[in-house]
Amino acid sequence: MNAYFISAHDFKPFITRLIEARRVIGPVAKRNRFTFERVTRAEDLRLDYDVTILPPKKIFFPPVQDLVHFEGERYAGCIEAEPQVLLGVHFYDVKAIDMTDQLFREKFADPNYLAAREATTVVASNVQRVSDAAFWGSIGADVAPKGHDAFLTMIETGYVFETRTPKGAALLEFGRFRIAEKSEVAAADRVNAEILEKCPERIDHPAEAVAKRLWEVFGDEALWEKLAEDCFSCGSCNVICPTCYCFDVQDRWNLDQKSGARARSWDACLTQDFAQVSLGAGATENFRESRGERFRHRFMRKGAYLNKKLGGPACVGCGRCSQACTADIASPPKVINKIMGAAR
Amino acid sequence: MSKNGTVAGMDIHGTLGKLEGAGNIFLPRKAAVLLANDDTPIEKRLTLRLEDDAPFEFSPGQFIEVSLFGYGEIPVGLASSPTRQRSFDIVVRAVGRVSKAIHGLHGGDTLHVRGPYGNGFDLDALRGKNVLIIAGGLGLAPTRSLIQYILDKRDEFKRFTLFYGTRDPNTLLFPEDLEEWRESDKVEYFETVDRATGPWKGNVGVVTTLFQKTKLEPGTKVVVCGPPIMFKFVLRELDSLAVPHQDIYLDVERRMKCGVGKCGHCQINDKYTCTDGPVFTFAELEKLPEAF
Repeated sequence: MNAYFISAHDFKPFITRLIEARRVIGPVAKRNRFTFERVTRAEDLRLDYDVTILPPKKIFFPPVQDLVHFEGERYAGCIEAEPQVLLGVHFYDVKAIDMTDQLFREKFADPNYLAAREATTVVASNVQRVSDAAFWGSIGADVAPKGHDAFLTMIETGYVFETRTPKGAALLEFGRFRIAEKSEVAAADRVNAEILEKCPERIDHPAEAVAKRLWEVFGDEALWEKLAEDCFSCGSCNVICPTCYCFDVQDRWNLDQKSGARARSWDACLTQDFAQVSLGAGATENFRESRGERFRHRFMRKGAYLNKKLGGPACVGCGRCSQACTADIASPPKVINKIMGAAR
Repeated sequence: MSKNGTVAGMDIHGTLGKLEGAGNIFLPRKAAVLLANDDTPIEKRLTLRLEDDAPFEFSPGQFIEVSLFGYGEIPVGLASSPTRQRSFDIVVRAVGRVSKAIHGLHGGDTLHVRGPYGNGFDLDALRGKNVLIIAGGLGLAPTRSLIQYILDKRDEFKRFTLFYGTRDPNTLLFPEDLEEWRESDKVEYFETVDRATGPWKGNVGVVTTLFQKTKLEPGTKVVVCGPPIMFKFVLRELDSLAVPHQDIYLDVERRMKCGVGKCGHCQINDKYTCTDGPVFTFAELEKLPEAF
């Protein structure tokens, strides 16, 4: 599609008009951190955020989502998808959206996810500030972000707005855009290329080598138990991960005791009972009983299991897990670099 | 849900929502309980028929998600053959909230089902071959779909042998079937209990003791379903008989919560039991370190 330009002066009115016309979700400040929330005033939009607490997956795959409503003998699906604009998604989170798009679409397509996904216009924006735990400059570098409708890059004089789909182009009417000069597009490319070198953390090995090594050390129980020694099995690393999509399904009654809902909620493979089944008479079988096994499962999942299917690791380098982990043991660069260096 | 009975602008339907149809993978179908029988003190057999009376096509070894609204969903193997159409059987062991609620159902009640899911047994690989089925405990339920299938299409298979082992005589499932199989010349049926009680005059010992009762011919395809501990002993025995690992089919259990390869609970390494399985060859499974 095409590249457009909007001046710094015209940018705020653009956002204001967009907010008036559409439901807009974007990064806003929450104390000293950032979250994706409904934006109701242009001045609340913080495109200078480093990383949000939760990734934008919550927009398409909410922490708790009703799947079926029931009342007496009657029941129905409850797919609700309001048209909206998701503004200001960093490229690494776009890559994560690409992955969840594929995973929710394959085999049995998940209509709850896809309805929300299709109703949403995704506008990516360049990384202006780098999170302390970021390593997106060194992971999946050859995987290009796809699932966005437009890409916004701040350059010295204003913003370059590259439309990728008709959905993205449809936003042009809300601002005073003009066709971008070649020099402006080049400036945007430069901004996006330079930032890749600014990550404080990095994984020093190509994805294929990491995947191979993960399989090699799979059976090294002592290694995994040591790495997971301090794990609280809290699942924080799962919950904040933009590519984690496991869920639990539970029914709940409404207060009237006649109606209720079947709902799914985010689940976490690091939690103790994630792979546990009942055998009867109080007996259980836990297929991933130890912390080491569960910790290993997460790394296999991010670094090896899905690579072929996704065309790269199921990790985008956002660093959220490094920051969320209470025991400070979840950092992929630390763990992967250690595993790659482990005695062969 | 709004007060006027619409959900997101859609009428509430007793059956499939018209906008969503088969497109909503989480929307179940209503099934009537035709028959509910307590086969054992903790296992109830239900014969079900879909209320919309639409054909229910499945393959032996596939499973469904069975649910009661307000309680939840559980994965249950189909325990009857698709050759016996219009109704289908499941066996539910009372272990948790949902299964205990299902135990409260009687003929005439309804529940909900989604599916069928999973790969089922590789019928093409079994046709024209000798087949040995080894079932332990509740493992007889999902394998019964294949047992019935083979009995109904007996000419398509060669020698057919069935081993069934259970804890004690009180835990024998499908008593009428067992009667039939004991007498039948269509199947060589051997049974055992770990502990004899009451008037039991049959074999006593774990399921592997049945291997002494018959001779396994080369080229026999072996289907195994039972508790995790049983796999270990049966596989050791099959190894001593030099059965090739690609000829051994294991119907495995995991926490197949969604049934559609999304929720993650049933993963064995990079495989989803619900969509890649639940039937795997031993040759496939032995490559997965998390399998055993």
